[in-house]
Amino acid sequence: MRVRAQIVMVMNLDKCIGCHTCSITCKNTWLKREGMEYVWWNNVETRPGPGYPRRWEDQDRYNGGWTLEGRKLRLRIEVRGDYRPPALEDYYHPWTYDYERLFSAQQFDVQPSARPISLVTGEPMDVEWGPNWNDDLAGADLIDEDSNWAGLQKEIYKQYRDVFMMYLPRICNHCLFPSCLYACPRKAIYKREEDGIVLVDQERCRGYRYCVSACPYKKVYYNWKSGKSEKCIFCYPRIEVGQPTVCSETCVGKIRYLGVLLYDDDAVEDVAKEPEPRNIVPRFLDEVILDPADPKVVESAKKAGIADAWIEAARSSPVYKIVKRWRVAFPLHPEFRTMPMLFYVPPLSPVITEGERALGAKVVDLFPMVEEMRIPVRYLANMFTAGNEELVVGALKKLIALRAYERSLNVRRPGEAEAARKLLSEAGLTERDAEEMYRLFALARYHERFVIPTARKKVTVKGIGIVRP
Amino acid sequence: MRRAASLLAALLAVLVGLAVSISAVVVTAQVPEVAVKYVEGAIPLDPNSPVWADVQGVEVQLASQVLVYPISPTAESRTLLVKALHNGTHVAFHLEWSDGTQDVATPGGLDVFPDAVAIQFPTRLGQLPYICMGMVDNPVNIIYWKAGAGAENLVAGAGYGLSPEQRDALGLARSPVSPVELLPPNAQVVAARAAYAEGTWRVVLVRPTASVHPLMAQLAPGQPVSTAFAVWDGSRGERGGLKATSGWISFVLEAAAEAVTEVRTVTETVPGPAKVVEVTPTWAWAAIGVLIAVIALLLGLLLRHRQT
Ligand code: SF4
Ligand code: SF4
Repeated sequence: MRVRAQIVMVMNLDKCIGCHTCSITCKNTWLKREGMEYVWWNNVETRPGPGYPRRWEDQDRYNGGWTLEGRKLRLRIEVRGDYRPPALEDYYHPWTYDYERLFSAQQFDVQPSARPISLVTGEPMDVEWGPNWNDDLAGADLIDEDSNWAGLQKEIYKQYRDVFMMYLPRICNHCLFPSCLYACPRKAIYKREEDGIVLVDQERCRGYRYCVSACPYKKVYYNWKSGKSEKCIFCYPRIEVGQPTVCSETCVGKIRYLGVLLYDDDAVEDVAKEPEPRNIVPRFLDEVILDPADPKVVESAKKAGIADAWIEAARSSPVYKIVKRWRVAFPLHPEFRTMPMLFYVPPLSPVITEGERALGAKVVDLFPMVEEMRIPVRYLANMFTAGNEELVVGALKKLIALRAYERSLNVRRPGEAEAARKLLSEAGLTERDAEEMYRLFALARYHERFVIPTARKKVTVKGIGIVRP
Repeated sequence: MRRAASLLAALLAVLVGLAVSISAVVVTAQVPEVAVKYVEGAIPLDPNSPVWADVQGVEVQLASQVLVYPISPTAESRTLLVKALHNGTHVAFHLEWSDGTQDVATPGGLDVFPDAVAIQFPTRLGQLPYICMGMVDNPVNIIYWKAGAGAENLVAGAGYGLSPEQRDALGLARSPVSPVELLPPNAQVVAARAAYAEGTWRVVLVRPTASVHPLMAQLAPGQPVSTAFAVWDGSRGERGGLKATSGWISFVLEAAAEAVTEVRTVTETVPGPAKVVEVTPTWAWAAIGVLIAVIALLLGLLLRHRQT
C-alpha cells in the first residue's frame, strides 16, 4: 500500500441550477487573457447535448483516454496514430459585441445595433455556435450529438412527454492516471505530490498539444497566443491557504464539496486496467480509495510522509462520506480509464416531481419507480459508471430514501415514519447517515462543504507518474 | 631495381598525400562528405538569390521518426535538397523541400502546426553524438526554424548531465526545464530567411563558423562536420517527435585559397543529378588513387621484369 492524499471535489447534480456562475467567476479569475478567449476551464453543459467542445465524449472523433490492449494500457492517440487536437470550431469562435457603436452611432429612427465581433480577428462575424448552444433545447435534434444513448432509443426522448434535461458542470478531473500527463513527450505535466493537483509546467511546455488530444475530457486547452497548453489549476493558490476553488466558492446552488481522499497509489494502475468497464467504479471505490479511520491506512499514510493535518482532514472529509461511505457519487466516464478524481451525485429531482404529479404516488412508494425516472438510469449509468446501472440505482435509492425520511420527520403522517425508516434500511443507510447526509446536502454550511487542510504535506517523492507505462 | 622501387614508393606517397589533402580523412569517413564552397564576402540570405541557383546541392533522404513515442502512423520518406556555402566567418545552409501546404501559426489556430526544419550539429567534433537529439555526455546543437517564428539556437541532451554550476557557467537555467533548451542570448547568433512558393519551402539558415558558445562546435576548413536534418510538415499534424529525420551527413568547409580549383575539379569530375554519393569527391578520388596505384604497381612489375 502506497498512500497518497488528494484534495477532491464532489458535485451534487441534484442542486445545480445551470446558472453558469462557476464558469464566469473562473473565467474572470484566470482566463481573461489573449489566446484564451475560447477557453472555459469550468463549463456547464445542458444534457442531453453535444457538450463543449462539441461531442467531446466521442473518442472515435477525438482519440482521448486509454485503451486496453490485453493487459496493457495504451494512449488512444498512439494506438490510432491520430494526434490531432480539436480545431477552434470544435469549441466555438469567441466573440464580443461592438458596444461602442451603441454610443457613437448617429441618431436615426432605428436603434443602433451592436454587431458581434470576433475576439480572435477583431472582424465582424456571425454567431453560429457557442459553448452550451443547446441550453433550454432539451429534446431538440442536438440531443443526437450526445454520446450517452447506448441502450436507449433517443428518438423517444425528443417527444414532449419524455423530454428530460440535466446540467453537467465540468472541470479537469485531476485524474489518478491522467492520459494528458503520459501523452506529453516533454514531461511538462505533473501531478503534485502534496495535493494531487495536475498542472502543466509552462516552462517545459512547447505547445505540442499531445495532452490536448489525449485528455478524454478535453480539459487541456491550447493558448494560441503563448503557444503553450494550459489547464484548470484547481485554484491551487487558494487551496494552499485553505480556501475553496473559485467555482466552489461562488456556486449558487452550493452543489460543490471539497475534501481530502486518501488513496492507494499501488492499486491505481491495476484498476485502470480492469477488463470489464462496469467493474471499474466499484473497484475504484473499494480498492483505490482508502478508509482514513482504518489504523493500517493511517500508519501507512504517516509512513508516506502525509502530515497529520491531512490525515485529520481526510477523516472529516465530506467527499469521503459522499463517495465511499454512502457511495452516492461517481466519476465521469470511468471507461476512459484515467481514474478521474471528481465525483458526481446523480440528479434526482425530476423523478420525484414526475412521480408525485403524474402518477399520484406517495413518496414512500417510490422505490419501484427508480427505473422509470424521467432521466433514464441507463443514461446516467452510461455517463457515470460505464453502464453499471446497479450503482446508479443504489445511489438514487439512497437519495429517495433520504427525502422520504426527512419528509416523514416534518410531515408526520401516520405510518410514514416507519415506511421511511424501512426505505432507509433497504437503501443501506442508518438514521445517523440520513441526518449527516441531510446536513451536508441540504444545510451545507461553508466549513462543512469545504474541509481543506492548510498545513502542507511533507513532500517525500518528487514528480510522480512520469514514467510511461 | 632499387631505383624503381623507391620511385614507386614516392609515387604512392604522393598519391596518398593528394588524397588526404583533397578529401580529408578517407579512412574514418562513414558517410560521403559534401564540400562546402568558399565565397568571398557576404552570403545571400535570400533563398531565391541567383547565387544559390549555382550551388550544387545534395539530396538528403529523410524518414519518419519511428524510434520513440510519438510515432507517426504512416512511415514514409521525403527528400531535402541541401546546399551550403561559407565565407570564412559564417556558414549558410540552403534547405529546400516540397510541401503542398504552407502552415504558419495563426491566431486561433488551435489545430495548426507550423512547418519547420532543423539542422543538428555535434557540440564538439570527434565522436559523433547519438543521432536522436544527443546524450547527456555528448549533446547536440540544433538550429531550429519554424514558419512564422524564425530560428532558434538550441542544445539538446545536455540537460541532465551538468551540475548547476556548470549550467550557470554555460548561461543555462540552473536546473534544466526541458530536454531541448534555448542557448543563452549571446549564443542566439543564427539567422534565417524563408520563402514559400509553388509547394516548395526554401529556407536559408546561417551560423557563425566560430564556436560562440561552448555548446557550439568550431567549424574549420578541411575538418569534416557531421550534421543531421529534420523536417516537420504541419498539415500532417507534425510537431515535436512527429517528424522526418536524416542520418548524419558529413560536410567539409573548403579552404579559401584552394577552393576555386578544387570545386571546379569536383564539378567537372562528377556531373549529373545531385546525389550524396555523386557529388562527394571521396569515392572519385579514392578510385583514381587506387587506379594510379595499380598502374604504378604494374609499371613497377614490368620494369622489374625487364631488368631481370
Ligand atoms: S481531466 Fe484528467 S486527463 Fe484531462 S486534463 Fe485533467 S488530469 Fe489530465
Ligand atoms: S455555479 Fe453551481 S449551480 Fe450554478 S451552474 Fe455552476 S455548478 Fe451549477
